[in-house]
Amino acid sequence: MRGLTKEYVLQRFLMYLLTIWLGSTLIFVIPRLAPGDPVSEMVGRLSLDAGYIENADKLIESWKARFGLDAPIHVQYFRYWGNVFRLNFGYSLSHFPTEAWTMVSDALPWSLGLLTVATVLSFSIGVTIGSLMGWRRTPRWLQLILPSSLTFTAIPYFMFGIMLIYLVAFELDWLPATGAYSRRVDPGWNLPFIKNVLTHAILPVVSIVLTSMGGWALGMRGLMISVNNEDYFLLAQVKGLSPSRIFFRYGVRNAILPALTALALGLGGLISGSILVEFIFAYPGTGYTLYQAIISQDYTVTQAIANLIILVTATSVFLLDLLYPFIDPRITYKRNMR
Amino acid sequence: MTVGQRAADETTTPARGWGLNTWDSPWLNFKFLLGVAIVGLILLFGLLGPLFWDTDLAYTGAGPLNKPPVWQEGGLPEHPLGTESNGRDMLAQLILATPSSLKVGFLAAIIGMGIGMVLGSVAGYVGGWWDHVIRTLSDSAVTIPALVVLVVIASYVQMTDTTAMALILAAFAWPGPTRLVRSQILTLRERSYVRMAHLSGAPALEIMFVEMLPNMLPWLAASLTGGISVAILGATGLEVLGLGPTRVPSLGLIINQATTNAALVRGLVWWWLPPIIILMVIFVGFFLMTIGLDEIANPRIRQFSSTRRERTAAGELPAVEHAGLRGGEEEDAALEVDDLHVHYFTPRGEVIAANGVNFSVRKGEILGLVGESGCGKTTVAMAILQVVQAPGRIVQGEVRIEDQDLVSLSGKELREVRWRDLALVPQGAMNSLNPVTPIREQMADAILAHENVGRLEVEARILGLLNDVGLPERVIEIYPHELSGGMKQRDCIAMAIALNPQVIIADEPTSALDVVVQRVVAQTLLEVKERLGVSMVMIGHDMGLQAQLVDRIAVMYAGNLVEVAPVGSAFSEPLHPYTQLLIESIPSIKERKPLNVTEGLTHDLRNPPPGCIFQFRCQHVEQICRERRPELVEREDDHLVACWLYEPERHSLIELEEA
Ligand code: SF4
Repeated sequence: MRGLTKEYVLQRFLMYLLTIWLGSTLIFVIPRLAPGDPVSEMVGRLSLDAGYIENADKLIESWKARFGLDAPIHVQYFRYWGNVFRLNFGYSLSHFPTEAWTMVSDALPWSLGLLTVATVLSFSIGVTIGSLMGWRRTPRWLQLILPSSLTFTAIPYFMFGIMLIYLVAFELDWLPATGAYSRRVDPGWNLPFIKNVLTHAILPVVSIVLTSMGGWALGMRGLMISVNNEDYFLLAQVKGLSPSRIFFRYGVRNAILPALTALALGLGGLISGSILVEFIFAYPGTGYTLYQAIISQDYTVTQAIANLIILVTATSVFLLDLLYPFIDPRITYKRNMR
Repeated sequence: MTVGQRAADETTTPARGWGLNTWDSPWLNFKFLLGVAIVGLILLFGLLGPLFWDTDLAYTGAGPLNKPPVWQEGGLPEHPLGTESNGRDMLAQLILATPSSLKVGFLAAIIGMGIGMVLGSVAGYVGGWWDHVIRTLSDSAVTIPALVVLVVIASYVQMTDTTAMALILAAFAWPGPTRLVRSQILTLRERSYVRMAHLSGAPALEIMFVEMLPNMLPWLAASLTGGISVAILGATGLEVLGLGPTRVPSLGLIINQATTNAALVRGLVWWWLPPIIILMVIFVGFFLMTIGLDEIANPRIRQFSSTRRERTAAGELPAVEHAGLRGGEEEDAALEVDDLHVHYFTPRGEVIAANGVNFSVRKGEILGLVGESGCGKTTVAMAILQVVQAPGRIVQGEVRIEDQDLVSLSGKELREVRWRDLALVPQGAMNSLNPVTPIREQMADAILAHENVGRLEVEARILGLLNDVGLPERVIEIYPHELSGGMKQRDCIAMAIALNPQVIIADEPTSALDVVVQRVVAQTLLEVKERLGVSMVMIGHDMGLQAQLVDRIAVMYAGNLVEVAPVGSAFSEPLHPYTQLLIESIPSIKERKPLNVTEGLTHDLRNPPPGCIFQFRCQHVEQICRERRPELVEREDDHLVACWLYEPERHSLIELEEA
């Protein structure tokens, strides 16, 4: 019947756990599969930078002991999981007394804010454009204009970002190029600060929205065209319903369901892309922090952030999954059928 | 099957073989070919570049620092695209970097596709536990943000060359193809020609490669080109972050060096812009290929855009010529179809689905419209309802209810007539109810679109209607998927009589149901008709069922009406050879007779032959049949037929012509 069934929630929750397990395990396993180990690699790089490090072997041993890398691999794995569960990743190596988790949680709101705004905008604009493009009754002038909104679809976010920075920030000097806010303003809930944050967010958001909305539009167009051919769509026309009712109630309402699934599946890609956007715009979110952690070989922060991003992605997908049965009454039924 | 698909079935056949060698091939898609050309040019630049330019200049200290391109002030001819802060020549760097970026993309996507095809086939073919595991794994793998994991990996593993990077990227490229191959196999497995191959005992691998692969090819290709650009994007992302191979030149690495050296602020445009431009061109190329392939794989998209173009060219409204003379106008007709021509404008020619169809439905009468599938009866129904699907169009004719020609009505006027005067009981009751809204809402919106009544009254009326068709009241708040096929069909009947229409079109109302349910639905239809005195057009191919339900019967063959007669004389004394064939083929329990199926296909609907359209299958064909088309003429009382056999003068007619 309608709404959430226990079975469905349980199924989705297991899926959620599986995703987190898979992602975190990848992060744990792959470095260990590689020739050499993280510490030797790190020390190796340090000695490359410094030219020569005294007692490199001893340093490696002591670091390994500190990170517990001398234990057998399954012990390491269980310890790692304990840490992931308690969100305890130890101290940051590059900003010593700070805990890795603190650095990460400072960065998280920036990323979440930026990405939520950008995703909501690009999804809703894209879906609107796509629905109109896939509907036979859309006015002709609109159908001629709409495809032009897909112009930037093929360009990756970050390249578009670089060009935006060059044109809008440096050449025209309209908007700030990098950062989340200027040093001049006092962080806090005051108007100048909020205004400052918003102006800094414009370029990153625009570069994500303009380059990703076309994908949604194209997908939605295809879905809408299929719905156009459905029998219930035809019956709605024959019933003499008003075009707007047919469009929303029979068209968009049905076509959007697979698009929402695609949104859940596409979140991973979106979040991946945002790392580069944050890098290009030096935006102090998780992506940028991850980049800096990697550059400064901050092992603990890297792990913390990677796990956090996987956690956030999986959680958003899980939430979307929980919402889904309310939007599609067939869902529990369909799962049984498949 | 939806109505759109049924109409499309009249024009398309499944892909057999690779289909690449014909000029008529769907692969000649403009977007796809343009994309191939763009990527090809970029590849040529990378491959042929070293023959014309000294690529050693790509390394540190090969030239002066920060020189702009030659067309700018201070540019040097020996460094046509300028140099960067380490004195490396930009042109040489780009020549070396381009093919390596492409190589990573191809390699990673092809490996991912290979893994995906194996896993997807196993999941789709073997099914069961395997399917479950593979599906769950790929579903969760696809939600993991790949670049995050990649970045972490790259920070530990020094990627020395592009092959290593491609291998790591491939680990993230398999879920997409896996899901695609699995769902394609599940869909294709249900197609009749694949089932046939199964039944004939062909081995699974042969079915996979001979029957399925050609049909999956456009999808796979679209997934591959999409995968390549995603892989290039991933690789470039790592390079831009400085985490790719640092000793091999790559486009992302150039961008990384430019941004870390503040090329943006310093105005060294020629440093960061060219790699971005090349990458953008590559992405645009693959993007065009992907959407081109999408159109090849999903012809509806192509049809959709081509009809739009056609409509733009021809002006908004279809040009309809009105038949001047109102020939068969009858006094007591509820619905008149007059000289109706419907053509499908396919890329391979105009398919004539209805060719001058003339008939009328009298008040309170059920007219049966019969014929084999593909004969155009569904097209006629859709034309009466003014919902002919693109690429089809009513090119000529009138459809009149109460002296109002529906073909020439404007959208708003038509909306008023619809459902109030002309309702539909659809064929696919399965798919005719909006799956996401409860029954109440679907019935209410039909009423509310035409009458201004309050919520309470609507509710009461819906309950009354459900009662009329024998459905329990609780159906009102249920979703369609919770109803059985027969219940859905009865709900459709309830909906059709909601506004007490003049005419109901019933499009094979019982064909998808099992026999017992068929009875119930047919009974419901008859009751409703008796009570409301509504006129009906009953479309179907089941002659036995028609015999019990209809008052008059109209037989259609290849877009033409060949016989219209009261049901009694049509069955006792069928005139047209095709009608005779149809009636002979009704199975009977009392006498076992040989199944009499005439071989021979319907002619190509794009080029109807001169003369009678049934000539290739007719046993009585004569000279005149091949030369002149017989008209639908009343030969007996109220019994019309289009056949030369009943024209006593036929011999003198050709002699006349020959003379
Ligand atoms: S016109 Fe000739 S070919 Fe056509 S049905 Fe009659 S006899 Fe047969």
